[in-house]
Amino acid sequence: MTEKFTIEVKKRAWYEWVLWALWLFSVVAILQNAVASAGELEPRAAAISWITFFVLLIAGGAVWFMRRSK
Amino acid sequence: MAEQGKTKLSRRDFLRLVGLGGVGVAATSIAASPLAKPLAANPSFRAKKFTDPAGRPDRPWWVKTVDQPTTEIDWDMMQRYNERMGTVRGPGFAEYVGEARADELGDIGNAFLQNALENNAPGYTLKDQALKASQGARMDLSFMGPQKAKTPEEWGVPKWTGTPDEAARIVRAAFRHNGAATVGFVELDENTRKLIYGVDPDGKELIFTDDDEASETDEARYIPNKAKWMIVYTVQMSEETLKRAPTVLASQTTSLAYKRGRIIQNSSQEFLRGLGYMGLGESSTNALAISPAFGVMAGLGEMSRLNRLITPEFGPMVRVFKMLTDLPLATDKPIDAGIMEFCKSCKKCAEACGGEALSFEDPTWEVRGGWNNPGHKAFFEDATKCRTWQKTDTGTNCGICFAVCPFAKKDKAWIHEWVKASTSAAPVLDGFFRSMDDAFGYGVMKDNEEWWSLDLPEYGCDSGGML
Repeated sequence: MTEKFTIEVKKRAWYEWVLWALWLFSVVAILQNAVASAGELEPRAAAISWITFFVLLIAGGAVWFMRRSK
Repeated sequence: MAEQGKTKLSRRDFLRLVGLGGVGVAATSIAASPLAKPLAANPSFRAKKFTDPAGRPDRPWWVKTVDQPTTEIDWDMMQRYNERMGTVRGPGFAEYVGEARADELGDIGNAFLQNALENNAPGYTLKDQALKASQGARMDLSFMGPQKAKTPEEWGVPKWTGTPDEAARIVRAAFRHNGAATVGFVELDENTRKLIYGVDPDGKELIFTDDDEASETDEARYIPNKAKWMIVYTVQMSEETLKRAPTVLASQTTSLAYKRGRIIQNSSQEFLRGLGYMGLGESSTNALAISPAFGVMAGLGEMSRLNRLITPEFGPMVRVFKMLTDLPLATDKPIDAGIMEFCKSCKKCAEACGGEALSFEDPTWEVRGGWNNPGHKAFFEDATKCRTWQKTDTGTNCGICFAVCPFAKKDKAWIHEWVKASTSAAPVLDGFFRSMDDAFGYGVMKDNEEWWSLDLPEYGCDSGGML
């Protein structure tokens, strides 16, 4: 007697890729803002941008880590 | 197998990580690269041919040319202004506040400077005063120019001729080469002629004549009617320096811009003479015509709550100069980059103004005093309050309103251009952008002593990435 297994493969929805693209764009833009603000000698703008960059990076990483097995 | 899948990185995940890391590293490299700095900051690193036949710069899409300027003008109400009524040059200020008060304020200003120097106040130290003094080493200005260049007649050749587009292109190239940041042209007609002063700061009348050549007497300067093209040009101020306002160190960048303007004027008068045409310039600083008005008509910028010109490229960090010529030039149109509209909701300069001289109201036709010229709808300022506060509380020219302006940015960060574009396209966001400008710490007075440790480019100008 043979056993039957069903493997279900779920494709990510298109909007999820759009959201990841937006995330990537935001990360790059904020990184540029952080580096350029330092070049503009605007320390507060640079600090806020660096913090935002790392928060966004870690948040994206966490979401990716949690969803990667699905 | 399932257990292994959860703990090990799959090939697909690994490739994703490599891709993301690669993008991050590339973005960091580009932004942090030593090459990126000059590329972004200095237009000269992007040498390219003019794409416009008249040499007009390639401006971003959000700088729109318009038929009517964003400042409403009633040409019937407009009269040629007597610059002796201004508060900076001539007797105007003393007439508004009284001779005794003007003298008293002069003494207060001098005492303020002396006291600040003796107490080594940041921005007022001996080295700051010395730098300010260095900007006083000026070359002379004159209406007619040095008149030393060899004319085509003296060479024995015909004078230069070309289409108005070609003329505009070479004049623009020459002015830029001599130090102008941006250049625009206005043809005088019965309306724009009203923007030429009736009386210059030194009291000489400016009279239009049918004479073939310009001339000057003890009482008047005569402008031939054929000299009907106004060349309007800006000279950058150092944004990094003026952000130390209000101090002697900050204000000397204004003097430096005027000094550079003088060099450009003399050089350009000789250039036009060398082509066989006249270049009628400012006989003294800010003489001949109303600078911001011609700046607007030439499309170099828009009027603002400062009641000064704000340009899309450099914000308010420019001084504006003018020169008349009989060389026919292709003219420019006014622009709408959303600047005047932004000023309606911003008010940052008015809030920062120590003398409470700037208007909090919407643009109005009602002038605040004889220092304003009626006939346009603007954010009129109280110039006597401005000058008085400068004397009592700074001892020098102030410039806070320029320093705090949200348009005064170096434009290295992409976000600045995106904000400017949004300001032009969606004014509903203006209030939000003003709040963000505060939140990010822009406009806060910078350390004057730190300035002496900065490795700034020539003239301290490190702006204009978008040009």
